[in-house]
Amino acid sequence: MLSALIAGLATGALYAAAALVYNVMFSTSKVLSVTAGHTAMLGGVFGAWFMQVLGLPVPLALIGSVVVGGAFGLLTDIVAIRRVLARSDEHLWLLSTLALATMVQQAIALWWGTEPRPFPRVIPQDFGAGLLDQKYWLPVIVAIGLAIGLEVFYRRTLYGKLFVAMSEDIFAARARGIPTDRIRMLSYVMAGAMGGLAGFAAGQLTFAYFALGLTLTLNGFIALAVGGLGSNVGALVGGAALGILSSIATYYVGGEFQQTISVGLLMVVLLLKPEGLFGTRNVRPV
Amino acid sequence: MKHPLAFAAAAAALATLPFWAGDQYQLHLAALIGAYWILIAGLNLVVGFSGQLSVGHVGLLAIGAYGFAIVAGTHGVDPWIALAASGALGALCGFLLGLPSLRLPGFYFAMATLAFALIVTELVLALDGLTGGGLGLSVPTFPEPFDTPAGNYWLILAVASLVTLLTWNVARLMWGRGLICVRDSVVTAQAVGIPVLHAKLAAFVFSGLTAGLGGALFAVIQSYITPDTFLFELGMFFFVCIIIGGRGSILGPFLGTVVLTALPELSAPLAKLGNFFYGLLLLLVVLLLPEGIGRLFQIAMERLRPRRIESMPIAPHPQRLTDAIKAGQR
Repeated sequence: MLSALIAGLATGALYAAAALVYNVMFSTSKVLSVTAGHTAMLGGVFGAWFMQVLGLPVPLALIGSVVVGGAFGLLTDIVAIRRVLARSDEHLWLLSTLALATMVQQAIALWWGTEPRPFPRVIPQDFGAGLLDQKYWLPVIVAIGLAIGLEVFYRRTLYGKLFVAMSEDIFAARARGIPTDRIRMLSYVMAGAMGGLAGFAAGQLTFAYFALGLTLTLNGFIALAVGGLGSNVGALVGGAALGILSSIATYYVGGEFQQTISVGLLMVVLLLKPEGLFGTRNVRPV
Repeated sequence: MKHPLAFAAAAAALATLPFWAGDQYQLHLAALIGAYWILIAGLNLVVGFSGQLSVGHVGLLAIGAYGFAIVAGTHGVDPWIALAASGALGALCGFLLGLPSLRLPGFYFAMATLAFALIVTELVLALDGLTGGGLGLSVPTFPEPFDTPAGNYWLILAVASLVTLLTWNVARLMWGRGLICVRDSVVTAQAVGIPVLHAKLAAFVFSGLTAGLGGALFAVIQSYITPDTFLFELGMFFFVCIIIGGRGSILGPFLGTVVLTALPELSAPLAKLGNFFYGLLLLLVVLLLPEGIGRLFQIAMERLRPRRIESMPIAPHPQRLTDAIKAGQR
């Protein structure tokens, strides 16, 4: 039971990290990008590749994963967001990010293979550590660190305040002279780097697996919708709740119904409180 | 029906296809396109007309296919009743999925359908007493004369024609206008009195019905189904066919289905790339031609044969004017 809780917390932390990636991209562009989970998948796959195939030391591999994630974020902005946002049709971005996500996933499947491959040790530790194993606490620390870092970034730095300004009202921000296109690009690079870091930290839990991206995109979104869109605390709480709920359900019912239960959670929350636990209601259709 | 001759020629060509198709494989491919089209024709009303981006119809396809295989195969019920049952099952599941999720805004709805597709795959694996789990199920064929490849093709052609006729009727009459209005502006739709949720739900349930029928026929073509047949990427593929063909048209998605199904089968390098190719196509279409390939044809036709713009200048006629004024003064 305790082991189920801890494993659930670790998985939930990864979901929370994916939800944070969504949040950062959403703040500047109002786009929920399907590529959010794929940044973490890239972090895991490239981390394993750097360390096992190229034989790089851990810090270099970590930097490499973050850079790959950031580059993918930049690519997302250039390819899938920039031209689409200029048009008024609001759901084109769903199609373009979905297309990009599919392409990345298939490219990784062709290059890396469709089998999950093991991820090497990041910190030297004995394999007998049981529940104190690094694969459980690394993702949790990274997710909490990312959330705290984001809050500090939003509150203390000029760029963070620009993000907040853009998420409040993008036209007003542009009227005040904020280079909105460049800030949006920065936010995508940042989101990609965060995803790469989270994927690297959770590599030992998830293995380096090409199909992780889609699962994370879905579960990160569920965490986000449960916690409330745009709220970082909500992302952490939603992710933890989702991870623990699905692992407890696995413990009692069996692993076959994991997806069904997590989507059930989403539906219940959306029916009872459509804006999520920590979200703000913003309804203005006209 | 602007071109009755072209329509009659196309219908005749489709009906006689088993006689002039090169080999059995091409006939199989044509039947596969037909089964896909039965699903896509219904999905087109949801995606292309009412603008709800459902990426999870592969789940409904799987339900139809497994429903047919279980009812007709495991329980040995008459295949025709099983076909109707899988259509009804698809419609029921479409209703149960659509009722909560169609209330959600765009991205939430897309994620709900994505989750639905994953749940169906998960349940198919979990309920292995019913579905055979990872091993799969074998699917019975229809009775004579539909048990040969050609007979099967004609059956699929008949169902596909019927479904196409139904969607065409929906699309060109008031329903279709209402759905397009919901797609383009929900606020306008509410203002002019279109029951938004009701309209969306009706289209979605119809797409569930066609997905169930398409799934049953698809299962018969495959003759053996496993959970691997119904990967999420197949749902992507249906979706891409419609977007590439162009939203709000029926011919466009049909051509999209034919081309996208046939292309990877006929050229080996594309088949290797598989879903990467579909993703690339979707990206290109969204970025360059958001209205779909059909728009390209329209532009080309305009270039080749510009529409004649009637202009009838009226020359001034002072004499008549003065006469009229004089007549008025009198």
